[in-house]
Amino acid sequence: MPTDLITPVLTKGIGELNLRDIKVYQEQGGYEQLRRAIVELSPKEVADICNGSNLRGRGGAGFPTGRKWSFLPKDAKTRYMVCNCDEAEPGTFKDHMLLEETPHQIIEGILIGAYAIGCEHAYIYIRGEFKRGYEIMRDAVAQARDAGFLGDNIFGTGKRLEFTIHRGAGAYICGEETGLLNSLEGKRGEPRLKPPFPAIKGLYGEPTVVNNVETLAYLPYIMRNGPEWFANVGPQRSPGYKVVSISGHVAKPGNYEVALGTTIRQLIYDCAGGLRPGRKFMGVQPGGGSSACLFEEHLDVSYDFDSVTKAGSMLGSGAMVVFDDTTDFVKAAYALIRFFSHESCGQCTPCREGGHWIQKTLERILDGRGVDSDIDVIKSAAHQLTGLNLCALGDSIEPFLASVITRYEDQFRAYIKKPAEKVAV
Amino acid sequence: MSATVSQTGSASQADLVTLTIDGVEVRVPKGTLVVEAAKTIHTDIPVYCYHEKLGPAGLCRICLVEIEGMPKLQIACNTPVADGMKVHTQNPRVDDGRRAILEFFLLNHPLDCPICDKGGECDLQDYAMAWGQGSSRMIEPKTAKPKAVDLGPTIVLDEERCIVCQRCVRFDDIITREDSLRTDDRGAHTIIATATGKPYVSDFTGNVTELCPVGALTSKTYRFRSRPWDNHRTTTSCTQCSVGCQMHVDERGNTLLRTMSVTEDDAISDSWLCDRGRYNIGFVNDERRITTPLLKQDGAWVQIDWDDALALWASKIKAAIAAGGPSRIGAIGGGRLLNEEALLAATLHRALGVENLDHRVGGQMLAHHAGFSNHVDVENANTIITLGRPPSELAPVLDLRVRKAVARNGARLISVGDHYANSFVPETHATNADELRAAIGENPGHVVQIWDGVAIEGGPELTAPMFELPSATRVDRYVIPETPNGRGAEALGMLPRDGGLNALQMFEAARDGKLDVLGILGANPVLRFPDRALVEEALRAAPFVVVTDLFLTETAEFANLVLPVCSAFEKSGTTTDFAGDVLPVIGSVLPPEGILADGDIIVDLAERLGVALPLPDELEAKIRELVRTPPPAPVPYYTRATAAAPDGALRVIPHESVFTGGGTLAFDTTIAELHATPRASIHRATARALDLADGDVVDVAGANGQMVRALAVHVDERVAEGAVALLQGVVGAPLNALGIAPHVRLHKALVTA
Repeated sequence: MPTDLITPVLTKGIGELNLRDIKVYQEQGGYEQLRRAIVELSPKEVADICNGSNLRGRGGAGFPTGRKWSFLPKDAKTRYMVCNCDEAEPGTFKDHMLLEETPHQIIEGILIGAYAIGCEHAYIYIRGEFKRGYEIMRDAVAQARDAGFLGDNIFGTGKRLEFTIHRGAGAYICGEETGLLNSLEGKRGEPRLKPPFPAIKGLYGEPTVVNNVETLAYLPYIMRNGPEWFANVGPQRSPGYKVVSISGHVAKPGNYEVALGTTIRQLIYDCAGGLRPGRKFMGVQPGGGSSACLFEEHLDVSYDFDSVTKAGSMLGSGAMVVFDDTTDFVKAAYALIRFFSHESCGQCTPCREGGHWIQKTLERILDGRGVDSDIDVIKSAAHQLTGLNLCALGDSIEPFLASVITRYEDQFRAYIKKPAEKVAV
Repeated sequence: MSATVSQTGSASQADLVTLTIDGVEVRVPKGTLVVEAAKTIHTDIPVYCYHEKLGPAGLCRICLVEIEGMPKLQIACNTPVADGMKVHTQNPRVDDGRRAILEFFLLNHPLDCPICDKGGECDLQDYAMAWGQGSSRMIEPKTAKPKAVDLGPTIVLDEERCIVCQRCVRFDDIITREDSLRTDDRGAHTIIATATGKPYVSDFTGNVTELCPVGALTSKTYRFRSRPWDNHRTTTSCTQCSVGCQMHVDERGNTLLRTMSVTEDDAISDSWLCDRGRYNIGFVNDERRITTPLLKQDGAWVQIDWDDALALWASKIKAAIAAGGPSRIGAIGGGRLLNEEALLAATLHRALGVENLDHRVGGQMLAHHAGFSNHVDVENANTIITLGRPPSELAPVLDLRVRKAVARNGARLISVGDHYANSFVPETHATNADELRAAIGENPGHVVQIWDGVAIEGGPELTAPMFELPSATRVDRYVIPETPNGRGAEALGMLPRDGGLNALQMFEAARDGKLDVLGILGANPVLRFPDRALVEEALRAAPFVVVTDLFLTETAEFANLVLPVCSAFEKSGTTTDFAGDVLPVIGSVLPPEGILADGDIIVDLAERLGVALPLPDELEAKIRELVRTPPPAPVPYYTRATAAAPDGALRVIPHESVFTGGGTLAFDTTIAELHATPRASIHRATARALDLADGDVVDVAGANGQMVRALAVHVDERVAEGAVALLQGVVGAPLNALGIAPHVRLHKALVTA
């Protein structure tokens, strides 16, 4: 594996050092940038550094972080910073690892972000299933509090920064930022009607920024190395480093931190060790379960927000799922549709009804009871439910399904033609 | 063609936005939603989850429109207008979007329209006819969900018909603030449920059946009873309390079927009805209604005809005047009559020289306030102060405005004195003048005061801060009359003047043999007057008592002559609400044969007594004039004691429920489940001191040995320590049986298995 592709920033030291220990983290320069921000810089100067780095959100939407912050009303008295650690996108496991291995850089990132937006109370919303991660974060926060990095008088400046850890209860939809805010408030985890956006009316009705774990974790390094260090890596409009979760039919699945702009081929073959011996590449989801499948002809696409979008998919949370020629794409599509149908909060008609309809139809196809019209109906139903929902969950149903039906329609047809008794599900 | 709407009433030219909808230029205030802008040119955009009073939710997606320049179809319910915006509500692309949404809605909908109560007035049916595709492409079995779910005492829910628009959930959240409905499960399995699995209990449940755009939520009293196209509709004012909500009444074959809110009625009801007004209609057809005049002979009722009955009453009046003058005659009631009837009754008696007139039977001091205001001002107040029993108990729909003021408009709610409970919004409780002064603060803004009209011991001292407000402060004072038309009856003459006796004095005079004829017009003092024993003694002692009522109530049982009368659904006229509005009451059904209206009886009696009454066409102007010139404040005949009780005894805090009372409620079996259960509510500390627990059964003993038996103990932190809150007007457990003595003792009842 050519090591020059892999550029550890957030992942540096993982597997070698016990970064959960605040002393070890501090020996690596940890909390130094928080101190610098709070003691030496104004919130605006910190925000300017972030802006200069062209950092885009690592949670899925790829929205420029500095711009997101800039939407907060200038005169707001109370503002909230919420770190989204409800990582549940199929194929994504980067925040999970960062949470368990490097909790302090997350805390430092959150606190720097909170300071930059003028927030005195930050939250981290941790996926309910991450019990171990929650315990690690809890201990890390206690260490940081003992060290005086949060509380009523940070670094003796008299500045106040509170920090609350909140565990989710197991719903994918709570990763959607307004669903997360409702859940954090103790309500049912349902996305809110927008506008108003969280920047205007978020947690408890106050202006709020919700940022992904990885996004915030890059802040200390951008502060340390300067915004140009980040901005000059990779494509100009989509710069910097990214932890990519690679899974599926590869020799060495795992998290790989690379510069954006690395090609999909390099990620699969150079980082993740390529396919298993003798297998043929059939497709890859470049950005988690919500992204459309890319194929052979896309292998040399640059892995950055804009290029992957241009290729017809999305970078999303940076989770690649690789499929070789052992893949049953009907079952793969069914697994994802069942997931989205199960995780639909049930508010919007198209997502609630449409997803379930497609799921039931795929079940029947897999059961050997498909009919010829099914394929057109599925495509049409998936298409007509897209773009009509409050949040993006409903819009996640069509991309993968449509891309693999178009490419591997024969696999779907095969199920429909097979007599029922011969199909094993 | 162009249309302009002014929602705020003061939108200047600069605040107007010009857009086109289907090619028609529309000018509306900035911030108007596209769905509302379309209404100004009478273009209806279909909606399910959106509702004018609930605002946008963005869930159902049926209101899709095309806006030029936007790649996707947009929801009209959450898109504000913009200058130059070009909206299309009718074109193939929009039609296809709506077709797609309707296909999703109908995938798992049971399509049981032939047996669904909503059939004929169902938005799903209507929109499916307009935009639906006629058949489903789904060949899977439909998802099964619970059917005929018993949601509570009033509502049945069909989860399969539900389209999860969440209007009911949002009504319960935004409007009533009671937070008892929610969605359960998720995705395609989402259902409507109660918050804790408990029954859906609220004073406003019926509204969700109207908000429901499909047949999912249905009223138990109306299920499977009629088809909307067979109903005949009349619009009237509700006469169950003094709010006077505008209300549609649906009738078929002279049988009342249901009442519905008037959605355009922003001024009075804000388009809601309480469950008392909505559901308490079954009494009209109750078989216990009296249908002929009844005369008591040797302790038994004898049916007599109207001519004999009225001749008898007239002769008793003549004889009384001849023997001792008009001061030996008295009349009580009027607050449950129409304005016209109250005016005629007062006019007749005054023409005879009778000044012993009083509409007050429940202990209230007065039913009007000095000024005139309206309902809407309540929700625009900055500070709302309630004195005595709160509007949530006495005027439920008014309380929705209080909740709106506090929860949505940022008003402060202050309750004064030791009443039992206020509402479902945060409040500050002030038990003395200093606390009240502090609660009001330096800058109270627009103050609204809502009083139950009952004088209390130490009242002037307690409420003094109310009268120390800066002179520029706007104060609107409201009194909630104890009867639906109390304000009208008071203004129209049913109050003693020139030395006439008030209700208390009349009962005392009757007891002492100083009153020969007592007319009780649509009132039930045996159940409602603060001292039941006195009323019973008085009615026994009076030589001739005549009562007009629908039923043999507690009071009618004591009469010599009972005259059967029309309900408010069987006669027409006007009523006066607490704010002084004169509202129409329009009859919707014919009364049972042989029944007259109170007004007809008074007119007939006047003829027999040779008194000329105003003619019908003179009444309206006279009523409007008199209602606008309220009489001087009367002197209270009852003052509620507030002093602390001696050791071992408890101070009584009388309170009210929407579902208490003797007449229309006690004789309505269709809503038996809703009748308030009498209970003794005490603070936890009181319970501990008396060794009582929630659910224990107690007997309540008055100061002179009177008893009200077998009340369940209800532990409630909102009741002051050392006090017990007892429901008024409950037939089985009349609080007034304990007399006016302010203190009672609780004894654990011996419960037999």
